[in-house]
Amino acid sequence: MRKAMVLFACLFAGAVQASEHESEGHEPAGHEAPAGGHEAAGKEDVAGYILHHVADSNEYEFEVPLSSEEHVIHLPRLLIPFHEGACAPVASEHGEVTPGLGAGCLDLSITKHTVMMWLAAVLLIGSLMLWSNRDKSKLVPRGAGANLFEMLVLFVRDELAIKNIGKEEGPKYTPYLLTAFFFILFMNLLGLFPWMATATGNIAVTCGLAVCTFVVTQIAGIRAAGLGGYLKHLTGGVAPWLWPIMIPVEVLGLFTKPFALTIRLFANMLAGHIVIFFLLGLIFMLAHPAVALVSVPFAFGIYLLELFVAFVQAYVFTMLSALFIGMGVAMGHHHDDHGHEGDHGHGHKEDGHAHDHGKAHA
Amino acid sequence: MLLPSVLASSSFVEVRPGLIFWTIVTFILVLVVLRAKAWGPILQLVEEREKQISNAIESAKRERAEAEKLLADQKTAIAEARREAAEMMRRNQADMEKFRDELMAKSRKEAEELKAGARREIEEQKSKAIAEVRSMAVDLSMEVAGKLLNERMDDSKHRALAEQFVQSLPVQGARKSA
Repeated sequence: MRKAMVLFACLFAGAVQASEHESEGHEPAGHEAPAGGHEAAGKEDVAGYILHHVADSNEYEFEVPLSSEEHVIHLPRLLIPFHEGACAPVASEHGEVTPGLGAGCLDLSITKHTVMMWLAAVLLIGSLMLWSNRDKSKLVPRGAGANLFEMLVLFVRDELAIKNIGKEEGPKYTPYLLTAFFFILFMNLLGLFPWMATATGNIAVTCGLAVCTFVVTQIAGIRAAGLGGYLKHLTGGVAPWLWPIMIPVEVLGLFTKPFALTIRLFANMLAGHIVIFFLLGLIFMLAHPAVALVSVPFAFGIYLLELFVAFVQAYVFTMLSALFIGMGVAMGHHHDDHGHEGDHGHGHKEDGHAHDHGKAHA
Repeated sequence: MLLPSVLASSSFVEVRPGLIFWTIVTFILVLVVLRAKAWGPILQLVEEREKQISNAIESAKRERAEAEKLLADQKTAIAEARREAAEMMRRNQADMEKFRDELMAKSRKEAEELKAGARREIEEQKSKAIAEVRSMAVDLSMEVAGKLLNERMDDSKHRALAEQFVQSLPVQGARKSA
């Protein structure tokens, strides 16, 4: 392993040295999504380049390795104005921008991250169609792909859904949790391939996913406790004169959960990419090829860490979603227990467990 | 240093409502497609398999218990049979022993009787023979004595004398029988 890393470093150091002889240096190709070639312009450009690379844009830019050619594909723009002329570009300090939602313009443009998300969705559906075991005649999966998928599916069902939600309600939410897990996993992993971008490194995408979890959580709560019970739960179960304090706290509590989900996934996915880019960017910031000997192995290590983080974050998002759904389901059990105690011995035990979990993670 | 300013001006912390919309739409589409095409069948298969496995384990356990019971039954039956066989053997042996002893005793007694009978017969014959030999000897001696004396002796007187003589003869066999 160490030998391989040294070899790696030498290879890239050589590549950097070679590229320095050219008039315009460009990034060591192939290791992480290469694009653009502004590095030589200065230190500020490294940061700018990195942020440009990880940020969403209306273009998809890619570069053919070992050449300075850069291709830009302009993605379609969809602007839905709420009133006449609302979407006309306005000048600002960053140049021309389209006005936001506040100004009455809904921007439904297809962006780089949208494309990546769709690509991830297509890959997910395609690979599941290809490798999942859906043949009724044989119950045991065959092949590495089918086994891997089944292992993950069983993991999500047994370790996340059933453990956090319970044996009766868990299987109902398993498809949702499975979709969230695999969709996030595929988006995370897609960002680790060259020319691709991480859709989950965009706060809007994670926000969208968290909104889905939020909706499912609330539906689970309402289904378990009934609308009355659900609203009663929002008061925190205290004396009416305390309601003005409790209701805002509970409502805030509702929204902090998806907010935490949003930020956690977004920050984790973004941070790893920025670290990799900065490690590689150090070569150009310090303007010496020898830096590559250190920074490229480090970047490689971070890349492997990212691979791990891709799984961990998909797991964490799904686990927390299951936890929140479990809390919503437990709300119903809790409510029921006030009515007829005793005949819910099993359910009581289960919701006690879920509540403990909730407190531990709050 | 220059990072905060770059961060502030960059667009990656900007939340695009359009992207949220597309994310939710995509997510729901993926959910619907996968639920129908992948999760449903996969989970169904898994459940089916789990049911089969638990059934198999259940029935295996049941069959095992049954087999164990049968085995125990068989074992006790075998032990019983063995015990019976041993008992029978023992009894047979005892019978045989007794029978043999009886037979032996009977045959010994018979042999004993036979021997005694034979001995008695022999004794009888012997004494008879001795008496005959004695009378023959008397006659013979009388004849010899008569011839020797040329009939000078009175018959009855002489005979008594001869008998007296014979009586005084040392006869081994006669003494033994007496």
